Amino acid sequence: MQLELQNIKKSYGEGGSRVEVLKDISLSVEKGEFVVLLGPSGSGKSTLLNIIGGIDTADSGKIIIREKSMSDMDEKALTAYRREHLGYIFQMYNLIPNLTVRENIEVGAYLSKNPLNIDEIIETLGLTEHQNKEPSQLSGGQQQRCAIGRAIVKNPDILLCDEPTGALDYNTSKEILSLIEEVNRKYGNTVIMVTHNDAIKNMADFVVKLRDGVIRKSYRNETKQTAAELDW
Amino acid sequence: MRNPLNRRLLRELTGDIGKYIVIFVLMVLSIGFVSGFLVAGESMSTAYDESFEKYNIEDGNFRTEEKLTKSERKHIEKKGVTIYDNFYVEKSFDNNTKLRIFANREEIDKVCVMEGRLPENIGEIAIDRMYADNNGLTVNDTLTLKPGPGDNLTASAGNKAIDNTLSSDGKTYKIVGLVALSDYSALFYSNNDMMFDSSAFGVAVVSKSQFDEYDEGAIHYNYGWLYDEKPENDIEEKDLSDDLMERISKKVTLENFIPRYLNQSITFTGEDIGKDRAMMTVLLYIMIIIIAFVFGITINNTIHRESNVIGTLRASGYTINELIRHYMAMPLIVTLIAALIGNIMGYTYFKNVCVAMYYGSYSLPTYVTLWNADAFLKTTIIPIIIMLVITYCILRSKLALSPLKLIRRDLSGKRQKRAIILNKAIRFFDRFRIRILIQNKSSYITLFVGLFFANVLLFFGMMLPPLLTHFQGVVTDSMLAEHIYLLQIPVGAIDDDNQINVAFSYVFLQNKILTNNPDAEKFSAYSLKTTGADGSRVDEVTIYGVRDDSRYIHADFDEKTVLISSAYADKYGYKAGDVITLKEPYEDKYYGFKVTGIYPYDGGITVFMSKKHLNSTVGMDEDFFSGYFSSSEITDIDSKYIGTVVDKESLTRVSRQLMISMGNIMYMVDGFSVILFIVLIYLLSKLIIERNAQSISMAKILGYSQKEIAALYIIPTAIVVVASLLISYPIITYVMVWIFRVMLKQMMSGWMIIWLDPKVYAEMFLMAIATYAVVAALEYRKIRHIPMNEALKNVE
Repeated sequence: MQLELQNIKKSYGEGGSRVEVLKDISLSVEKGEFVVLLGPSGSGKSTLLNIIGGIDTADSGKIIIREKSMSDMDEKALTAYRREHLGYIFQMYNLIPNLTVRENIEVGAYLSKNPLNIDEIIETLGLTEHQNKEPSQLSGGQQQRCAIGRAIVKNPDILLCDEPTGALDYNTSKEILSLIEEVNRKYGNTVIMVTHNDAIKNMADFVVKLRDGVIRKSYRNETKQTAAELDW
Repeated sequence: MRNPLNRRLLRELTGDIGKYIVIFVLMVLSIGFVSGFLVAGESMSTAYDESFEKYNIEDGNFRTEEKLTKSERKHIEKKGVTIYDNFYVEKSFDNNTKLRIFANREEIDKVCVMEGRLPENIGEIAIDRMYADNNGLTVNDTLTLKPGPGDNLTASAGNKAIDNTLSSDGKTYKIVGLVALSDYSALFYSNNDMMFDSSAFGVAVVSKSQFDEYDEGAIHYNYGWLYDEKPENDIEEKDLSDDLMERISKKVTLENFIPRYLNQSITFTGEDIGKDRAMMTVLLYIMIIIIAFVFGITINNTIHRESNVIGTLRASGYTINELIRHYMAMPLIVTLIAALIGNIMGYTYFKNVCVAMYYGSYSLPTYVTLWNADAFLKTTIIPIIIMLVITYCILRSKLALSPLKLIRRDLSGKRQKRAIILNKAIRFFDRFRIRILIQNKSSYITLFVGLFFANVLLFFGMMLPPLLTHFQGVVTDSMLAEHIYLLQIPVGAIDDDNQINVAFSYVFLQNKILTNNPDAEKFSAYSLKTTGADGSRVDEVTIYGVRDDSRYIHADFDEKTVLISSAYADKYGYKAGDVITLKEPYEDKYYGFKVTGIYPYDGGITVFMSKKHLNSTVGMDEDFFSGYFSSSEITDIDSKYIGTVVDKESLTRVSRQLMISMGNIMYMVDGFSVILFIVLIYLLSKLIIERNAQSISMAKILGYSQKEIAALYIIPTAIVVVASLLISYPIITYVMVWIFRVMLKQMMSGWMIIWLDPKVYAEMFLMAIATYAVVAALEYRKIRHIPMNEALKNVE
């Protein structure tokens, strides 16, 4: 078991304006699985991803990653945990504006003791001819590829993706999904992706459907579609 | 692997080169100037300290009416001192400047030759270097002594013909050297003067053979003494000098007696150099804090701009310390390089500038540049630490926010719970502006603080010159009389232990000091000193005993009336009913007076009472008098019996000298503060526009015109600038008056009523508005260049 969530609860606000975002969430993820957290806006999926990523905290419950409980970790240990085990991809690419594509990927590589080969990643991401450009010279899709490169170059155990295609058009979204799929297959990382796009569930090994902070349904796909086969 | 973030540094530098150049130049200038000032100060101070031994400076001097006989000399020397002749004559220029001419000294108070050589022959003279500078004289120029009353001298440049009308019956000197006399580092004409005036008074040396040519009647018999065994401390020194004065005054008629520790010509410089350094160091720290503040807001701005990137990096596993190091690198690199170059400039260019400033105020001997660890600590190590601490604290507080908050650009820490409701009656545009003000309130507070700092400096630079000019006007307007003559009373004549001598001297003097001038009005005057108990410089207080029906002092005097001058009241904060304690200058005797009122007189630290009251207090006869008030010049008393003449010239000496010694610093502070002021307004306004770039872009998309957007974003900043200025002026006035008072109390004896020129406020305001107008024009251009896709594209 790579990741286990036990009875996670999270709420925001106080008194009358208190909102329970996550209500007793429990789930287990195996190593190398492609997990999709699916749900509409406000369902709590991004909050759950952030708690897994150690950038937000649960009010109660337990997160066990590689047999270590996250609740025992202080800020320093959490940073080390993110540094060693996690890669993050956001809807906004958040690239460093005055570094080139290659250098932005190096920013991720710097964090790892055994980073993947940068040239190989650049090639995999199809960014070879853009590697010396700054983010402002790239399209949205190219910027997101670069962000993926920055996240995977350190070869994280878990790749967390928060609506990675949310700001992209249909074709570019599919390209990005194909890339993440390829990364998952090639490097064997566990991928946890948050999306509200129902079609994406078909490429997942494990689907968790959330609504109003509760898991409405979770299941493992018997057969998966490739990203290229998806349609919406 | 090297941190790839480091590659940003050079790009960050080149990307915002204008800002970094401005900050860098400001730092180099402030570190360089203060470093130079401290190095120069320390080197000069060391040269001054060493001069006591190097030039064998006297332990004191006294002047007698007649030349000492051998037996008198022997009698005095039995007190454990060695006496040296240090005779002089005084000659006057026709432009009312005086030269005190000594025979060259070989044993005591030796002369430092700054340029040229010492005089060897008749007709040669070496004059004080600073006096020469202030009067445009140099080596090889000639001085022509004008015979007649006062033996006036006229100078002419070396390459010009000597004025024939004067040289026909005058004596011509050739200036062969510019010198510093070790006992005249501050050119006080009289030790009683509030301040020295190096443009009106100087010292000079001539050869022994030249000095022997002077008429004996013109010679002042001045003697320097050295203790055979140096006193161990101040108290012992005072006791020794008191005993010595008593011994001398019993034997001969003393005209003057000044132990070294009371001799302003010797001690003033040493005390003043230290004070200047303290002031400059404080000024440096204010500047460094301002620059750190500028860096602080720059960093803050960068964090706001890059918060999502920072959040992502933190989410990816970058530690807070890695990011703090990254964002601190640039300010530190700039500070380090600026400190290095500042120090190099400090030891070279600025040191020379500052040495010139010292030489412009004091007649100091030659110096050697000394490595100054204290200056290095103050100008380099401490600024770096200040920069380090301020930037670290800002970064620490911002980067400690959770990665999630950073990614969401939620940097405020606490979110405003409810939007402020604005009355709909307010025009939409005005409401919009109010919203912009509320939204950017932290930036505007920063703008206010920045403007406040810049104004403090500006105020300092701009207020002092009019203050000094105004003082000159005030003292001349409030003069007690056109001419005040203080008669020369030998020190021994008022010695209580020697009543017979008192009586003799008095009867003798009576015949010499009467005038037939109908404008003249007798008064008695007595000089006491303040105790210095509040830490300020010890002031000499002149107490006037005046006639009941005085034509010059308009007040009713009874036996208990004690009026203090308004300057005295202002300096020490005295009011009617307070008791002032004054001290005999050379004795441990104290007087307490209850103040009954304030007399409007700003020219000096003065007390007024009836003549009878004063004479009985100090144990003199009821008819005793020691001077005249007069509306016209008194010409029928021999100048020998006139000790001090208080007139327009002597009253304005304080402000003139302060202008000379502080003028350079004031103009530098002035220039620096103007630059800093412009930079601060520019950087802070730029920051506000940058923060609002996205909203501006969105407003453009919605169809707002360039003019409308400028009105929305520039006007609120203009309102804040104007409000900040108006709010800061009274605060600054209060703070600066306090600083001026403390500074002046420490820097000068006497007092200058602090007056702030209202015109300067107008000038400062206009300067600020003009600066903002330029900045606003730049902002307008900037707004025009914000692209519309800024709001639509990814927030990079």
